[in-house]
Amino acid sequence: MGGLKDKLEAWVQERIDLVPIREFAAKKKVPQFVGSFWYYFGGVSLFLFIIQVVTGILLLMYYQPGAQTAFESVRFIVVKVKFGWLIRSIHSWSANLMIFSVFVHMFSVYFTKAFRKPRELTWYSGFILLLLSMGFGFSGYLLPWNTLAFFATKVGTSIAAVLPVLGEPMLELLRAGKDVSTATLTRFYGLHVAILPAVFTVILGAHLMLVQMMGMHEPEGWKSLPAEKRRYMPFFPNFVLRDLLLWLIVLNVLAILAVAFPWEIGFKADPFISAPAGIKPEWYFLFMYQALKYFPAKMGMMEGEAVGVMLFGVGGLLWFLVPLWDTRTPSGARNRTITWVGLFVILFIIALSAVGLR
Amino acid sequence: MMAPRRFMWMLLAVPAWASFVWGAPVATAAGAEAKPMTASAATPAGAVAPAAAKPAATAGVKSPDGCVTCHLDVGGAQVDAYKKDIHYQKGVGCSGCHGGDPRSDDQDAAMSKAKGYIGVPKKADIPAVCGKCHGPSHGQASGFHLKDMRTDYDASAHAKALSGSDAGPQCVSCHGSHGIAPASDPRSPVNPLHVAKTCGTCHGDAAYMRNFAPGLPVDQYEKYLSSEHGKRNATGDANPATCVSCHSNHKILEVKDPRSPVYPTQVPATCGHCHADSKYMARYHIPTNQYEEYKSSVHGEALLKKSDLNAPACNSCHGNHGAAPPGISSVAAVCGTCHQSNAELFGKSAHRPAFEKEKLPACVTCHSNHGVKAPTDAMVSMDKPAPCAKCHRNDGSDKSAPTILRMRVALDSLSLGGILAQRELARAESLGMDVSDARYSLKDVNQSIVQSRVAIHSFKLASLVEAARPGIRVTVLAKQAGLDAVHEYRFRREGLAVSTLIVTLLVILLYLKIRQIERSQKNEKK
Amino acid sequence: MEPGVDQNISRRSFLNNLLGIGVVGWLGSVLFPIFEYLKVPPQSEAEPTSVVAAKFKDLKPNHSVVFKFGSAPAILLNGPDGKMRAFSGVCTHLQCTVQYRPDMQKIWCACHNGMYDLNGRNIAGPPPKPLQEYKVVVKGDDVIVSKA
Repeated sequence: MGGLKDKLEAWVQERIDLVPIREFAAKKKVPQFVGSFWYYFGGVSLFLFIIQVVTGILLLMYYQPGAQTAFESVRFIVVKVKFGWLIRSIHSWSANLMIFSVFVHMFSVYFTKAFRKPRELTWYSGFILLLLSMGFGFSGYLLPWNTLAFFATKVGTSIAAVLPVLGEPMLELLRAGKDVSTATLTRFYGLHVAILPAVFTVILGAHLMLVQMMGMHEPEGWKSLPAEKRRYMPFFPNFVLRDLLLWLIVLNVLAILAVAFPWEIGFKADPFISAPAGIKPEWYFLFMYQALKYFPAKMGMMEGEAVGVMLFGVGGLLWFLVPLWDTRTPSGARNRTITWVGLFVILFIIALSAVGLR
Repeated sequence: MMAPRRFMWMLLAVPAWASFVWGAPVATAAGAEAKPMTASAATPAGAVAPAAAKPAATAGVKSPDGCVTCHLDVGGAQVDAYKKDIHYQKGVGCSGCHGGDPRSDDQDAAMSKAKGYIGVPKKADIPAVCGKCHGPSHGQASGFHLKDMRTDYDASAHAKALSGSDAGPQCVSCHGSHGIAPASDPRSPVNPLHVAKTCGTCHGDAAYMRNFAPGLPVDQYEKYLSSEHGKRNATGDANPATCVSCHSNHKILEVKDPRSPVYPTQVPATCGHCHADSKYMARYHIPTNQYEEYKSSVHGEALLKKSDLNAPACNSCHGNHGAAPPGISSVAAVCGTCHQSNAELFGKSAHRPAFEKEKLPACVTCHSNHGVKAPTDAMVSMDKPAPCAKCHRNDGSDKSAPTILRMRVALDSLSLGGILAQRELARAESLGMDVSDARYSLKDVNQSIVQSRVAIHSFKLASLVEAARPGIRVTVLAKQAGLDAVHEYRFRREGLAVSTLIVTLLVILLYLKIRQIERSQKNEKK
Repeated sequence: MEPGVDQNISRRSFLNNLLGIGVVGWLGSVLFPIFEYLKVPPQSEAEPTSVVAAKFKDLKPNHSVVFKFGSAPAILLNGPDGKMRAFSGVCTHLQCTVQYRPDMQKIWCACHNGMYDLNGRNIAGPPPKPLQEYKVVVKGDDVIVSKA
């Protein structure tokens, strides 16, 4: 065994210089402190994305887009294909857990101020990955072509229409027509399995590369700490093995969720029936959906909803650009405003989601 | 002045109804005891003789009556006829209908419009003229308390016909004009012994009926004469049903009107009105339990409870105007109008000649008649009271007995197999497994059951098995699908348990490995 | 060499072996479902809710085809007049599956000799109600049936 391994290494070494990589791996270390736990959520998000890719490719083997086949083929996967129920349920559950994990990852980075110089680019790319993840969720939700998905998509896309000037063209671009139809399904399918994965992979690659180049972010408080008091854990193998351990657990949790709470297929979408009561978007859109309900019909010259949508746009932009307005970045000092804003955003999201869920 | 009036009187005397009224045969035993249909709707017209009639009114019209005096002079056939009229006898003079002032000697004054003289009422106005007393006022003004027949008439199909054409039927069409007698009077055209013919004058006249209801048959009277009711009526028995017994008299509604007593869902009660009355039917020595039996029968449930208008009422088997019990030989044909396949198979079966020989009625022998129940598989049995056991012996002497039992096995494996498959599928569904394909396939079992129950009327084991086999195969497959689904459910959980076990072990090992690595790292540092 | 070190080494290799077995077992529990999933099931394709009921050129006038529509059978018939009509295939009497009788030019239920005319109206026998009619659209060579 050992001999073979050595021979293989020598073979590769003759072609690619592995030494810098080895040195890099040996040197890479992870700060050990109270908040070390949050470091794992980046890895968990990555793992869940890998699961999405694998199960997504497997689902592609049988899925057929189209009004006459989409629902039937998902039903076929779940009922007729061996372990199809498992693959499909894991894909659905993993999607939700991934969004959740990405949110946790983002907030942990935000509160530890890990977005400060020189990691602004990592933050920007991460935020784009979050938006893309939500795009995955929104486009994938329609693909089974069931009643709930059909109407949720109808409501979801209609929000674009409230925007002045750009609204109508955007709506038609999203829906591939005036209304949600088979054309929308085809469009979302293309988005979900081709465009988004391609863009996501590129940005994810950049994101990971940036993380490796900058190294792990150290807590802000450590700057005033003497070097001997800073504790580290080697990334390889200590942290990697812990990552693997967590991934194993996550995968098993997914399996348990998939078996115990299989994702429902629902009923085939019928554009001619009236919308069922209680149409809600996926939980990660719920806080925005709920907040828009509180805007009055008219605000000055504009529609209330349009104002709301633009406010969310501005809020998202500010969030995205937090490295720019965190004015104490250069000094590396504490910035309580940032923390308060973050807490407010978390509370806002939790409160409105809770109201929306009721 | 006189000539035109006379001419008008003649006109009135010419129409067919008038000649009929005078020419009506006087029956001998026309009793007044004919059974009214319902207390309100079908009281014979003549039975209005009020209890509260004033004694003075019974002595005839008080003399002198100017109308009578003059019209007798000019040869008044009407006046002669009117003297026999019930109205005349009760004190109602000509002016009661025609208006005018009978006390005046002056012709112009007596017959002046100012005095309310209307001459010969227009046909369309006749219901209003009669309705003055026989209407909502109940004749109170004249001191009588009469039934309100005008309101009933106005709601009837006859009134509808009159509103469209003067030729439509009104009071006079049935009751006559100047010789009106109570229905109990044998002279009356609406006496039970004559009423069928009276109705038939119009309803048997295709040319006449075409003006009002071109689609309506005109053979009712012919049929009635051939019916049991009609035959007895012809012997002078006033009790059997006549037209008005079922259709009511003044408020005659179309058959398609749900309020009509001959609307399909009303028919059983209408027939039962007489046929379920044991006292009334006593003299005919026939059973009176048909209505009770029918109500609980599969036909009665369908018609009366589920309002399935396709389900047969009494008239579907017995006929309506030609009502009579179907003869033994025609039972299969009657039932076969709906149960066609069954009747066809029975007709070709060995039972048909056997039943004929024994003088057993075809379908009724096994299914009974009025109380026919939804058939069950239990009917195919050698144990009493199963119909097979009525004739076939289970003592080894009868070669049919084993066949009958085998037929039962085929039927049972079909229905039982269906039940077991359903149960297995329900179990799988309660576990959240999708077995909709197997559920769909079970529809064929139902079809197979229905076809087997038809096929049994061939009384051949092979035909039955042929019908049952596809269904039995489906039940086996569906049951297996249910079992497979339950098995799959268990397999999922067991698989999860196994993989969870593996992952747990792996997690523990990995944890140990990490500890081991970190311990050796510490040792190296030292 | 101290016995302790030797023991350590043997413990380490034991742990490594166990880990190896664990990883193989785990890989098995992940790959087995995937391989099973990729096996083509007996019915190799999802059945659309039989919206395309027939090929236009295959269905001659005065012929019919019974197909699965949702969870119940339906009947598509090309009438003697060449007009396509589709109905629920479930007899309204006792839920048998109906068929088209070219000789009678009627829809016929074998169970009790129930008959429907070419418009699905119950005209003879026990069926209490007409057959539910579906919408038929001919698109190219496909005859597409949908609930109206």
